[in-house]
Amino acid sequence: MIEAIVVLSTIIMFILFTKLYQRFPHPIMIPLVTTTIVSAVILLVFDIPYATYMEGGEWLQKMLGPAVVALAYPLYNQRAIISKYKYSILSGLIIGMITGLATIFVLLKMIGVEASWMLTALPKSLTTPVGMQVSETIGGIPPLTAVFVMIAGFVGAIIGPLVIKYGKIDSPVSRGVAVGSASHGVGLVKLREYGEQELSVGSLSMGLTAVIGAFFCPLFVYLFM
Amino acid sequence: MLNENFAALLLRVIRIIVQIGILTIFYYMGVGIVSYLHIPLPGSVIGLLLLALSLNFKIIKVEYIQDGAGFLIGILTLFFIPATVGVIDYPELMSITGQLIILAVIASTLISIYVTGQLTQIIEKKELAKKESTETTVEEGKGELSVD
Repeated sequence: MIEAIVVLSTIIMFILFTKLYQRFPHPIMIPLVTTTIVSAVILLVFDIPYATYMEGGEWLQKMLGPAVVALAYPLYNQRAIISKYKYSILSGLIIGMITGLATIFVLLKMIGVEASWMLTALPKSLTTPVGMQVSETIGGIPPLTAVFVMIAGFVGAIIGPLVIKYGKIDSPVSRGVAVGSASHGVGLVKLREYGEQELSVGSLSMGLTAVIGAFFCPLFVYLFM
Repeated sequence: MLNENFAALLLRVIRIIVQIGILTIFYYMGVGIVSYLHIPLPGSVIGLLLLALSLNFKIIKVEYIQDGAGFLIGILTLFFIPATVGVIDYPELMSITGQLIILAVIASTLISIYVTGQLTQIIEKKELAKKESTETTVEEGKGELSVD
């Protein structure tokens, strides 16, 4: 019973919030954020344990694996861009990956956090489904990783344009690689306003960063922790 | 007329379900490889790579997966909502340490965008200079990734 209620109510909320987002396309309004907040508030107000909710939630979560596999399709479609800007995009993505991992590692070392926080924050620049799975693989806390992933996305979408403007990041390819590799899909919301090239390269960068990051994050943990 | 539309819709639904089945097979192949080789990678990402390679080398036609993949990607966000709701079990996020970590994530992201953008720009200029007079537009990418 609870399974059906959770699955159905989540799907209905998701559809409604998707419609709302189409009307007000602001990064704060993306359906993941709104649906999560409303669901969390309902659980807290009615004092429903997360474990009870997950009896239904896990049915939706089971689809996450095949959905990540499906990301191969857009990557395949964008292979023309890869072959055109091979070196720029691939080296840019590796630079982005290393910069992202190194800076969060150093900053968290300076704060002096426990290892579990570190492992949770390292996959922050990967798109949410992959970031959460990488977090689980290296011993982080997936739901918290999702929060950090969303924050990285908001930063790219909201403050990213200022970095692009004052940092004089002028070419479409470099903008796409920079925002796509640091702020995944949420950052893409903003890239769309720059143009088609930025968006294509950004979307490609997000996909490849997820794949490269799935290898780099465990390697980074193995080498430095 | 109505029957024809209904038949077309039914066919499309069946096609999407079968194609999701194919994607699920790739997912379990990825999971199998990861657990067999004991490598610390998500099985789904290995499945993604297997599928991308199969498409690239024409082992699998893109028509066999495109409707199912498009459908799943369109509602991708839905599948990780249950996991993100799990944040209610971690009030530590609101502690001072939690807030500092959030600041670190913000700083790290901004530095990444700046450094990556600058260096990519430099590398791109070199790559374009080598290619002499090729046109500068990127082909419009089909099937862009969903927003999450």
